[in-house]
Amino acid sequence: MKTKRIILNALKSLGKNKLRSFLMMIGIIIGILALTLIVSVGFGAKDLVMERVNKFGTESLMIFAGGGVQLSQMNRNQGRTTLKLEDAEYLEREIPEIKGVAPYSTKRNSDVKYFEKATTSNVFGCTPAYAFVWNWYVTEGEFITDEDIRTLNRVCLIGSTVQKELFGDNNPIGEQIRIGNIQFEVKGILEAKGTSPGGGDMDNRIMIPLSTFMRRVANIDYLSQVKVLLHNPKEINATVEKINQILRERHSLAEGVPNDFTVITPTEVTKMAEKVSGTFNIFLALLAGLSLITGGFVIANIMTISVNERKKEIGLRKAVGASSKNIVLQFLFEALAVTISGGIIGIILGGTGAIILGIVMQMPISVSWESILVGVISASAIGIIAGIQPAKKAAQLNPIEALK
Amino acid sequence: MNKVIIKAEGLSKIYNKEASGEVVAVRNVSLEIHKGELIAIMGASGSGKSTLMNILGCLDKPTSGSLFFDEAEVSKLDDEELARVRNKKIGFVFQSYNLLARTSALENVELPLIYSDRTNIRKLAEDALIAVGLEDRMHHHPSELSGGQQQRVAIARALVNDPDIIFADEPTGNLDTKSSYEIITLFQKLNEEGRTIVLVTHEQDIAEHAKRIIEISDGIIVSDKLNKSPRDAKNGLDKLLKEVKNEN
Repeated sequence: MKTKRIILNALKSLGKNKLRSFLMMIGIIIGILALTLIVSVGFGAKDLVMERVNKFGTESLMIFAGGGVQLSQMNRNQGRTTLKLEDAEYLEREIPEIKGVAPYSTKRNSDVKYFEKATTSNVFGCTPAYAFVWNWYVTEGEFITDEDIRTLNRVCLIGSTVQKELFGDNNPIGEQIRIGNIQFEVKGILEAKGTSPGGGDMDNRIMIPLSTFMRRVANIDYLSQVKVLLHNPKEINATVEKINQILRERHSLAEGVPNDFTVITPTEVTKMAEKVSGTFNIFLALLAGLSLITGGFVIANIMTISVNERKKEIGLRKAVGASSKNIVLQFLFEALAVTISGGIIGIILGGTGAIILGIVMQMPISVSWESILVGVISASAIGIIAGIQPAKKAAQLNPIEALK
Repeated sequence: MNKVIIKAEGLSKIYNKEASGEVVAVRNVSLEIHKGELIAIMGASGSGKSTLMNILGCLDKPTSGSLFFDEAEVSKLDDEELARVRNKKIGFVFQSYNLLARTSALENVELPLIYSDRTNIRKLAEDALIAVGLEDRMHHHPSELSGGQQQRVAIARALVNDPDIIFADEPTGNLDTKSSYEIITLFQKLNEEGRTIVLVTHEQDIAEHAKRIIEISDGIIVSDKLNKSPRDAKNGLDKLLKEVKNEN
């Protein structure tokens, strides 16, 4: 009863001193707001990297032409001529752990025309295996067949962006489009995949038979990349060994000569992602910690000032029968009420801000409740300790000293 | 003689000030206060009268000597017990009222009850405000009340938990003559109802309304006399009102 009255009285006192309560709250609000914003954006970025790994698949690996290719250069290795179609075919034949290989070659930003409508798109030379290795099929029409490969057929599959650009709402199947100067018949529409983890439009692409691509479009005898799909993700390391061995042999690389190809496994991708996000996380934690400490000290400041100002009130309360404990209880609840409500407001504002930021800057947002909780608790702790210490000191004075 | 409420034995209060060295505010004071008394402690400014009262009222601690409140020695009480004594047994009225700002008269009067074990505190606070004649000012904030009214709120706050003794430190010090008479009238009425009251004042005029007058000089009791014929503040107030009327 008595405790309840003291707590109620503390809350009432907050209402009566709105400016002071507001100033204290601002400290927490800003701290938590910054924390929520930073953490949400940071975790969003981390998720983005992990999503890239997951999309790639844990039972797949990539072979790139050229040695020492970094993950970040994945799409920039055109012009390296060391990886051949025969390499891919040989690997598939020789290594039983391999479920399928998708050798392909790409040409970015090619001009595409349909009558007077024109656009630029990325052209991929693919084999029929591309569909199941990448889990990417057509929604209408038919995928590239072995027959298409054998006959260097001039057919193509188009992504939904290309479809929209060139055909609008009309049915493109059976229509003729020009890629560069060569005519292709549209034989299928690719499943929409949306935005890639790297931010590119995955639907702005055209797939044509790999043989057609190599001989008629690009006039090359090498591949950009090969994606290899395994039966079992556990066999990945053994398979990488075998691939290294076979390719070195086929490319006649003497001992000591570095690989002229690069094999990247999901483990490496994950590792790289973790390294990147690890650095990022330290930076984020630093920022978030800084904003919290600032928030905590704002409360600490105002609490200290307010206790000094309120020394008289403490003296009076003691004179009419409050014990030191009662005084501390009152200040504890004032601080609790301020920090908790400030924390909630901070989370709401920070969350809203993060969502808006995500939309405006087209970034993924991920809210980590654990870190926000830790933030609220630590900021509250600073505020409460800072608020209670001076109150405790004031409560220990003789009432008449406090009243002076 | 009635029961002894407070007994002081050899109370002294010494302040150590860097500039002026030791200052003795109260020097070896012994006295007894009985139930039902109306005492005025008189003395010039700096005589130590307020310090003495703060010690008697358990708001300050003596440097030496002992104070018994209802036969319990105050210096031996812990924080909780001392808080209970201040809450239940003592009502304090300050010269500068010491009301909480932005807080209604009613809530100010409720303040001691928050720390008591009482229930129904709203009703008790209302009764106390009625007893001091402020039934129509209950929801006013201190800033909306006159000095006299504020002091009456403070008296209601001192009364509300039905204490054994009320201490008033220069209760009329900030008030005009009329308000002063009103406050003293209120104290006399409360005393007639059986309450023990100790006033501190430097005005002879105010002190003469008490039944016992203790004079202090330089921290020592120089005289402690019963006042055979205390003045009636109500008469003084009536006389004053008449004078004002005649002047108009």
